[in-house]
Amino acid sequence: MADIETLGILEEIEALVSDKLQVVSYKWLSRSFLVTSNVAKRLLHEFVEKHGGGLEVVYTLSGWLKNDPPVYHIRLVSEPKLAEAKQEFDGHCSVQVYSVQACIPKDPAALWNAEFVQAEELFKQPFAVDNCLRDNRFCGISNSFVKRIAEGAPVSNVASQPKTTGLLGPSKSISAPQTIAVQQPQERKVQQSSPKVSLQSPSVVTDVKDESNGTRAHDQASKPPADKGKAPPLPANKKKGQNDKSSGTEGSLANMWGRASVKSKPSCAPVDVVSAEAQICAREAVEGASSDEDGQDANFKRASNGDGGRKRRVVFDFSDEEEEFEDAVNLASPDPPKGKSCIVSKQSPKPLVPDKINLNSDQQKQDKPKVKEEKSSNRESNLSPREDSSVLSKGKNNGISSSDKIAGGVPEIDVNKKDKVTDAAPNSPKRRKVMKTRIDERGREVTEVVWEGEAETKKADSNETKKSENSIVTNAANRAPPAKKSPAVGNTAPSNVTGKAGSKKAGNSKDPKQGNIMSFFKRV
Amino acid sequence: MEAMEIDAEKHLQRKQSLYESLDEKFRIEKETYRGQQYSQIYFARLHMMRTLIYSLIPNWKPHLPVCTVLGLEEGKECIIVGTLYKHMKLKPCILDEYSKERSVAPLVKPHNFMHSDDSLVLEDESGRVKLGGTMLLPSVYVTGTVVGLHGKETSAGEFLVQDILDADLPPQIELPLKSTVLSIALALTREDKYVVFVSGLSVGSSTSNPLQFQLLVDHITGHLGDEKEQGIAAQIVHVVIAGNSVAVPRGLLNGQNLASKDQSRLSEPIKELDILLTQIAAGLPLDIMPGPDDPANFSLPQQPLHRCLFPGSSAYNSFRSCTNPHSFELENIRFLGTSGQNVDDLEKYSEAKDKLEFMERTLRWRHLAPTAPNTLGCYPFTDRDPFLIESCPHVYFVGNQDKYETRLIKGSEGQVVRLICIPKFCETGVAVVVSSVSS
Repeated sequence: MADIETLGILEEIEALVSDKLQVVSYKWLSRSFLVTSNVAKRLLHEFVEKHGGGLEVVYTLSGWLKNDPPVYHIRLVSEPKLAEAKQEFDGHCSVQVYSVQACIPKDPAALWNAEFVQAEELFKQPFAVDNCLRDNRFCGISNSFVKRIAEGAPVSNVASQPKTTGLLGPSKSISAPQTIAVQQPQERKVQQSSPKVSLQSPSVVTDVKDESNGTRAHDQASKPPADKGKAPPLPANKKKGQNDKSSGTEGSLANMWGRASVKSKPSCAPVDVVSAEAQICAREAVEGASSDEDGQDANFKRASNGDGGRKRRVVFDFSDEEEEFEDAVNLASPDPPKGKSCIVSKQSPKPLVPDKINLNSDQQKQDKPKVKEEKSSNRESNLSPREDSSVLSKGKNNGISSSDKIAGGVPEIDVNKKDKVTDAAPNSPKRRKVMKTRIDERGREVTEVVWEGEAETKKADSNETKKSENSIVTNAANRAPPAKKSPAVGNTAPSNVTGKAGSKKAGNSKDPKQGNIMSFFKRV
Repeated sequence: MEAMEIDAEKHLQRKQSLYESLDEKFRIEKETYRGQQYSQIYFARLHMMRTLIYSLIPNWKPHLPVCTVLGLEEGKECIIVGTLYKHMKLKPCILDEYSKERSVAPLVKPHNFMHSDDSLVLEDESGRVKLGGTMLLPSVYVTGTVVGLHGKETSAGEFLVQDILDADLPPQIELPLKSTVLSIALALTREDKYVVFVSGLSVGSSTSNPLQFQLLVDHITGHLGDEKEQGIAAQIVHVVIAGNSVAVPRGLLNGQNLASKDQSRLSEPIKELDILLTQIAAGLPLDIMPGPDDPANFSLPQQPLHRCLFPGSSAYNSFRSCTNPHSFELENIRFLGTSGQNVDDLEKYSEAKDKLEFMERTLRWRHLAPTAPNTLGCYPFTDRDPFLIESCPHVYFVGNQDKYETRLIKGSEGQVVRLICIPKFCETGVAVVVSSVSS
């Protein structure tokens, strides 16, 4: 490095420390200016010699202590205490500049913050990118035997965070929700979709990010269950098959993000999807109902990954149309086989589904995590497992109808499922959906389907205590008015529901015809 | 000159070593749960150990007959072999929770459940017999150990113990270089390779200082220090993290729905750990074991932490998620260790002067966790007991202890074992480095 460069860097350090009051540690320096750690330390040393006055310097002392048995000690000391700290060491100890800052923070751990933020940034880069964090290139010891497997290169890695890519991407990686059950099909799909994904991923990624890292993490965490879950994979597989045929497009990834691409496909898919979903939903419902979160997670994941994509795609396209409604429902549950849709439905009473559909692809992705959360939460809070399953089934059958049903209540769902499927189709044409997207209080993007002519669609958010789901439910409820689905159930349900439903109901107060959870209990 | 220094490539190469994992027996993948309970694992344990002890009896007291518990005759001296059961008054019992009179604060858990009234019982398939006499100290033994006892039955129906036979240290594979002239010469030229053990990182807890762990990581990977220091670091060939690596904020998990910001808070510690592990894994092989507080299963043997928890680090071929207990062989040196649950449980039900003594006892009883499944959660194996130690390790470590301790113990057949207690890093900031050259 030329001296000029050195000078330039030194000046920058000065600016950072004095003006921005940042802690400049040697690690941070090495990563920012792409120099090795040894060089960075040397630079800091020079800097301290030239501009050191007025700035706090922290040194590292490393060496063997004098006590017995000999202990190898690494210590950070500030300049004033350097001399006496050196005394504790037995013989030679290496003194190096660790960091330079305007003032030493009270909590020593704050010295580490700037460095960690930088590490986090590097960590979040796309999975396939090999950066200085990942290959440890600036350390003093090289090790050629360490290899990093950047899998899933084709998919999702484009423009997505490592996490998301993990999710979506590497077809092999279990983490990707999609991949779990549907690994092979997923892979195929994924690859196909990759181009799409990449196109959309930027937007999606951002959306996803906005959604909540938490959810993503949640997803990721859930993935493991998905991976392990044998059950979910089965349905997923089935779903996938269906998805495959239905979507015939790339994997869920594409679906997830590629609304645009989805559009083309969904048209054909919906029908297949619906049927497939119905079956899957049924299956899922069973599994979902009985299984724990894992199942849901798996489903969710799947949905989110591929299904979401696939189904979503389908759904999206449809969302605009009546028929899509059904698909939309499925979307909620996304994932290659109905699982997703089912799952989705489970979580949040169907309303989610419609929301999902309507939402952008981004939403889908986000929905998934939400859905999952909601699902789980719903399950616990709102619905009994039965409901979930029923919801699922509903979801399967018809996007729309299920959503309606969900709002109504569990019992209705069961009954309605079947009906709904059929109903959904016919129903959709009747109503005109208008989708509105907004951010709810939790920061989630909620797409609500507001039926034209409905008194209100948005109330969901206000009502629910639980989550946007509730709102969805209400939405669904709103939608349902024309509901052919199970008018009887719905009617009874509402009354019951109001009695017991509580929060859920709150939202639905408007929608007496919609079934509600209580109706489920009643019937049972 | 300065430019040259700056441009100098790192010329230090990290040492490589041969590693072989021996965790197969701790995996539960092939087991099926059909609702069985623990009788089978106890039977497997008794069977294996009894065969072993029977083979040792001729060397110990060949003149005495061996009989089963049911075959005891009054006054006749004999040897019986069976599983010990310690009857403890203070041992928490689930039925206490349902008793009519419940004290207001039943949650006070004594650190140690021992009582002067504890008594031992020996049990084999045929029956049980109460043990008496002063040779066998209830404070030393715990339920689940298999021993041979020499004594006789008294008129009261007790078995008066006169001598005890432990299985003692298992046979040990000799280290390749023993004390011969040639080996000493080789030893001098042999490279010294280091294995770093650390446990109790507790990333995400309020007590852990991330700066400390970062310093450790920097040192291990070769960022810190000058040439000499980095030279030392280049000799580190392996890192083992022995449990309790992450502190999940359990306060959030109260059965309520998680808000999205809570969800990110829940996963923050694991993400932070993943970033730090990536830094290590990018430089050298790393083993991570689950611990009592980690997101892994509760019962022993704990299965490896799932690689989905570590999306960043699991991409490396140097990252290995291991079971707890963990056994591996590095450069022909056999390591065996746990994350601390076995010794901590022993501490609750028996006493010894230090943790190393507990460790020594487990080796002499040839069983890693004798209190499992009695008081330590364990999987109900049907045909084997994976905690039996068949081959004596050269290094035996236990993680998550209060302080660093180490000792060398010797066996009757020339076995030499280095016992190590790894302290909790979040509290002490101490990691243990083991050198491969015996000393």
